[in-house]
Amino acid sequence: MSRLASVLVPFALGTALAAQTTVFTGARILPGGAPPIADGVLVVTGGRIAAVGDAATPVPDGAAIVDCRGRTITPGLIDASFRGGAAAGDLNEQGDEVTPHLRALDSLDPDDPALARARAAGVTAVHLMPGTRNVIGGLGCVVKTAGTDPAAMLVKADVSLRIVMGSEPSAENRAIRGGRVDSIYYRRPTTRMGVVWETRRAFHEAKQALELSLGATPAPPDRGREVLQRVLRGDLTAYTTARSEQDIRTALRIAAEFGYRTVIDEAQDAWVVADELLAAQVTVLLGAPSAAQVQGSAGRDGADPRYATAKLLADRGIPFVITTGTNTAALELVREAMFAARNGVAPAQAIDAVTIAPARLLGIADRTGSLAAGKDADFVVWSHDPLDPAAVAESVHIDGKPVPASR
Amino acid sequence: MNRPLPLAAAALLLAASVPSQDVLAVKGGQVVTVSGPTIDDGVVLIENGRITKVAKAADVEIPWTAKVIDATGKVVMPTWVVAHSQAGQRGFNENMQNVPWLSVADAIDPAAIWFEDALRNGIGTIHVLPGNQTLLGGAGMVVRPYGRTVEDMAVAGNTGVKLSLLATGGGRLQQIRRLRRAIEDVREYVADFDRRKAEFEQEQAAGAIAADKTWDEQIDRTKRNAVDLVQKKARGWLYVPSAAELDEALRLSQQLDLVLVLGRNIDEGVPLLTKLAQPVVLDAELEYFETDDETQKERKLCTAKLLADAGVPFVLSIGDGGPTAYPWWQLGTCVRNGVDRQKAIEALTTVPAKLLGLADQVGAIAEGKLGNLQILTGDPLQATTWVETVVLEGAVAYERSKDPRLKLLFVEPKPAEPKPAGGDKAAEPPAPAPTPAPAPASTGTPDGGTGDGKPQDGGR
Repeated sequence: MSRLASVLVPFALGTALAAQTTVFTGARILPGGAPPIADGVLVVTGGRIAAVGDAATPVPDGAAIVDCRGRTITPGLIDASFRGGAAAGDLNEQGDEVTPHLRALDSLDPDDPALARARAAGVTAVHLMPGTRNVIGGLGCVVKTAGTDPAAMLVKADVSLRIVMGSEPSAENRAIRGGRVDSIYYRRPTTRMGVVWETRRAFHEAKQALELSLGATPAPPDRGREVLQRVLRGDLTAYTTARSEQDIRTALRIAAEFGYRTVIDEAQDAWVVADELLAAQVTVLLGAPSAAQVQGSAGRDGADPRYATAKLLADRGIPFVITTGTNTAALELVREAMFAARNGVAPAQAIDAVTIAPARLLGIADRTGSLAAGKDADFVVWSHDPLDPAAVAESVHIDGKPVPASR
Repeated sequence: MNRPLPLAAAALLLAASVPSQDVLAVKGGQVVTVSGPTIDDGVVLIENGRITKVAKAADVEIPWTAKVIDATGKVVMPTWVVAHSQAGQRGFNENMQNVPWLSVADAIDPAAIWFEDALRNGIGTIHVLPGNQTLLGGAGMVVRPYGRTVEDMAVAGNTGVKLSLLATGGGRLQQIRRLRRAIEDVREYVADFDRRKAEFEQEQAAGAIAADKTWDEQIDRTKRNAVDLVQKKARGWLYVPSAAELDEALRLSQQLDLVLVLGRNIDEGVPLLTKLAQPVVLDAELEYFETDDETQKERKLCTAKLLADAGVPFVLSIGDGGPTAYPWWQLGTCVRNGVDRQKAIEALTTVPAKLLGLADQVGAIAEGKLGNLQILTGDPLQATTWVETVVLEGAVAYERSKDPRLKLLFVEPKPAEPKPAGGDKAAEPPAPAPTPAPAPASTGTPDGGTGDGKPQDGGR
């Protein structure tokens, strides 16, 4: 009995502290996926949102009040394709070109300066995927941007399987033709054909094993194959990185061939293949809509980004999410939303495309991505409208706690 | 220094090259004069390329012959002035290090997309100089981003010589030594020239040279710009890549008429800059991160804010790509980091105009200045604001509605499929069924609704 009490007491203390209520008043609130509230009240208790509403929302007794007049509050932004800074090189496993079982989470460095920058700029959760140098890179995860322990930062594991089309998985690879045999560039594939073949072969083998195992003894376990089978069964969404028109079409074709669900990541040429995207009912991740060119190693993919893409997707009713993605020239996520708004996307939709839309896509909308009672208190107090170039994230809160600013 | 020579013929050249109206009236807009108060419902009259009247609409009679641009609901501003740029040239860094005789007039490409973008973004005056990788890099000139030839574009010449402390082959100290040596060489040349001329005169006075002979040696053509520089007849624009080179830059600025063109990472040198007479030119990248060597913590710094706090006057640069190519982004970055809005606007208008010696010509909407103005759809510091019209020297140089490249960038490649009334086909299989979708997503609801960016739940 006494042992139990000693366990319970710290727990009770913890909840008492966590139950501290803070109320943010007077701000314009953009709740994400709901109409804006001009003079809003946000009540936060114990790391969660207790209430969101207009000025008439009751303020609990004894609550700390933060005056946010003149400010705008949005949900914490969610970057659905986040390129880690220091960790980026650590996300490309070169041991094999098909590594479906590898987890980006295992490379997550909570001290990554890119995470600190993202969180100072109002991003409270990121979707971290393995890098783009493998044909099938592995499993992505969603983590909060603050914390010291990857397990505690984790919002959802295994949300995606990254597949990469185009030139990146084959870039610089070459076949063994004499000479040194220990170069890391002795990798297959070396062409787009090879990339497609590796994808097909992997799924074909996984499918075959899945069919063989029905009603019989399961095929010998293979970690990578098991992940691909989850994709084939519809338990896991593929995120196919495909920038150019050609690669987007290929990505859609392979997905249709094997009957799996995919998201098109980095779809720079979406404006060319809007009809196909609409017909396939896929969601598009639009990386760095501010950029006029694809920078970095993916430049040779031959994609031709256009300013109008986000608006075109909006007008055509193609679901899209704005990300920073793989473009090395990407700006802060909120500025990418700003550029989408500049180029014709309705402001509310531009904000949704970095909050509630990625939350729904990643299956974490029950916890974050919008401001509603019961959700995690992940939100940002902006100095101006977040789509104003002068806007700064004055305070960023993750699970109700203000995170340290970078400056 | 010599005043830059505003090409007196510019207006004449323009009259020949642009279908200029004698009188242009811009009415109805909010006129942000920059140098004076902002006028709501103002009128700007431009006659023969110069602003003749700026006042409230009620106080101006618009001549019946005037071409009238209605700017009601819009913002009228002076076009931006960029005090230092190397963009828009084909090859702005000569491979040889010491080339003061070169001129950007030979490198400027009037067809460069950068100039087109500059005009599209409301930039009306650009000081083009050689790049940062030559020791003594040649002479610059002021142009407007409009015209088919460099002559068409010319606004002012004799604007100075480019110098750089950027270490190219070799170290930082070597570069400093080389620049000192190059300047010393010019001084020695001048001294030698003067000595020989004095000798000539002495010998002539002594009768050793015939009295009817005159000293006919000219300053070496390849050295003239450099000689002007050391004699303070021409201004030097010195690139200072980092705070480490500031000491040398300040030493040089004691001897020469210099404007410092700063690199990005300059924060340690800010206290030194307070001693300068002239405003400094900031790097186009205004924000940067610095990692503390001890704590590994990153700090975000903004050069404009650091200088504004130290009371050092500055002008802003415009990048040659990415967001820094947009004046609104540069100004927004300043304001975001705590720089006063008016100070930021002045750093792209009146301050660079003064620095270029063109304060009576450009940088503000005021009577007597060149008829350079832009009409914007709204607040110049908002991302959603677009430049509708640019007027240069009284002639319409840019109209957004007639911008072919902007149309190309925004065009939908294929006509959209006809949609069933009231919705789209997003929720349907691709079969050619004409029935409307059962649950159409609303598109861009103005009330801030969910919009149609609602993806399917990935965990389904």
